[in-house]
Amino acid sequence: MTDSQPVIRTLDLCKFFGSEQTLVKAVDHVSIEIEPGEFTAVIGPSGSGKTTLLHLMGGLDNPNSGIVELSGSNIAKMSGAELSDFRRDHIGFIFQAYNLIPVLSAEENIEYIMLLQGVAAAERRRRVAEMLKLVELEGLGHRRPPELSGGQQQRVAVARAMASHPDIILADEPTANLDSHTGIALLEVMRELNREQGMTFVFSTHDEKIMDRATRLIHMTDGKVDKDEHIAR
Amino acid sequence: MLTLKLAWRNLFRNVRRTILTVLLIGSSVAAMIMTDAIIIGMVNVMVNSITHTLAGEAQVDHKGFRDAYDASLYLAHSSSLEKQIGSDPAVAAYAPRVIAGGMASSSYNIASAAIYGVDADKELAVSRISDAVIHGRYLTGKPDEILIGDSMAALLEVKLGDRIVLTVAEPQSGELSQALFRVSGILHFGTREFDDRFVFINLARARDVLAIPDGSQQIAVRFKNEADAENTQLPFYRKLNHGDVEAVSWLEANPSIASVLGWTDYSSYIVAVVLFLLASFGVINSMFMSIYERIYEIGVIKAIGSKPADLMRLVLTEAALLAVLGCIFGMLLAWAVGSYYSVHGIPMGDYELSGIMLSDNINAALKPYQFTTYPAYVIVLTIIAAIYPARFASKIVPAEALQRSL
Repeated sequence: MTDSQPVIRTLDLCKFFGSEQTLVKAVDHVSIEIEPGEFTAVIGPSGSGKTTLLHLMGGLDNPNSGIVELSGSNIAKMSGAELSDFRRDHIGFIFQAYNLIPVLSAEENIEYIMLLQGVAAAERRRRVAEMLKLVELEGLGHRRPPELSGGQQQRVAVARAMASHPDIILADEPTANLDSHTGIALLEVMRELNREQGMTFVFSTHDEKIMDRATRLIHMTDGKVDKDEHIAR
Repeated sequence: MLTLKLAWRNLFRNVRRTILTVLLIGSSVAAMIMTDAIIIGMVNVMVNSITHTLAGEAQVDHKGFRDAYDASLYLAHSSSLEKQIGSDPAVAAYAPRVIAGGMASSSYNIASAAIYGVDADKELAVSRISDAVIHGRYLTGKPDEILIGDSMAALLEVKLGDRIVLTVAEPQSGELSQALFRVSGILHFGTREFDDRFVFINLARARDVLAIPDGSQQIAVRFKNEADAENTQLPFYRKLNHGDVEAVSWLEANPSIASVLGWTDYSSYIVAVVLFLLASFGVINSMFMSIYERIYEIGVIKAIGSKPADLMRLVLTEAALLAVLGCIFGMLLAWAVGSYYSVHGIPMGDYELSGIMLSDNINAALKPYQFTTYPAYVIVLTIIAAIYPARFASKIVPAEALQRSL
């Protein structure tokens, strides 16, 4: 990926559900570009297509038509196995809740993706320690998810997403299940990673706390982009 | 290693379900082992009944004799053959017999008879004729002694001390020969054919009646090692099988029993297949329940980069671990139950199978292969059964899984 190239580019992206009579246009001819280092929030009411757009951008779902380019590669044309490898190496995901594998410790959850990547053991250990430090969870790495608070679990999810050195992190309502204070703390961690490490974040959210911190807001209604505003912060 | 760790820990997310599945697999393995052990025990009883009652573990006779029990096909120089057999290092005991078909008549009735002239002392080491005596006494060597089955005694309406006349055709001349005996013992083998038709007289008297001074129709043999009986490569068989002499194992001498024994193998397989099918349905059900409970988590795992093959591997490893745990439990259960019944036996009462009276307890026969082959089959087949749920897990679409309610 070069500096001038967008991390994600969608062109006339469409995703429809249902048959003719009950057709739902979840994503309707959306064309956007996400530049490196952006802290972008895709916002809109429930059913506006935010999560579907995020899934399409992350290669979790196939579009009916259109193009999704991630770091210059058209992921809409990739096979299942290619897409798995691509997601593993280029995209970090954070979901609303239950992000972690409950039978693995926080350290093992972070290490999991690096094991899939085939990273050497010593490097994995180094990166796990580094990530735990970044998300301020040093000393809690041995705990399993049920032994961590919701906020701590989401921080582990952030650490896991960062550990694979992705091009972008896609976060679907990451603060939805957190109380206000914990949500702000988590957002601060992610904003810090965005500022200091230049990590690109795209959120789908209703959360005003995220909107308040986002450098770009993409407004969606009925599957279409209503408004796309860049905010200097 | 990660897959193994994950699979092992996943098993304990729902301990009750894991225990139930392990019990199901384990019970099936135990049932397979026990079924096989009992069938082997039953076969042992059957073989013992055949070989110990009368037939011996091997029989030496004139070629063609066993086809129709034709008394004219006899071993003319029995004593030299007996010496040869007695000097064979594999042989523990032998007993020459004169065998002829004839008539047994009393004052009241007449019956067809299979007449066995036996060496009373040598028979003790080869057959169980003496054990079958229920009234009177075993042969002592007196020339007029005769042992008859209880059914024949009832038919002829005779009791101990009563007279019986045997009529036989002399093998060489074909002339009829008659001899008078007094009932010295009543036998009960439990096998209809034996109790209806068999009569036993002393060997010397039988040779006299049939006019074959050094002849015998059969020499029954018992080996030092029972397993030698079925070893056709044994020098015993090679040395004796030439000219008119034929030496065969008890199994060759009883082809109908060989087919019964073959059937017992199939019955083990049938039981194994039925038990495995039951266990495999349980495994499939358990794996599907486990997958449905984790469908959101599987969506996350796939989203972050796990390939379908990784998910397949994970589910198959979980199934393999369940099978291994089940097999360990099943083997311990089978060993405990089997050990008890191998010592104490399963009392079955008297019953006849393929014309053979089985009256001994059936002692379960535990064999090492039962603890390797059956568990190995179960593990492999459980993994095969788990392919269906594993494929289902591998095909889960992350976007759909992530939309499941949390």
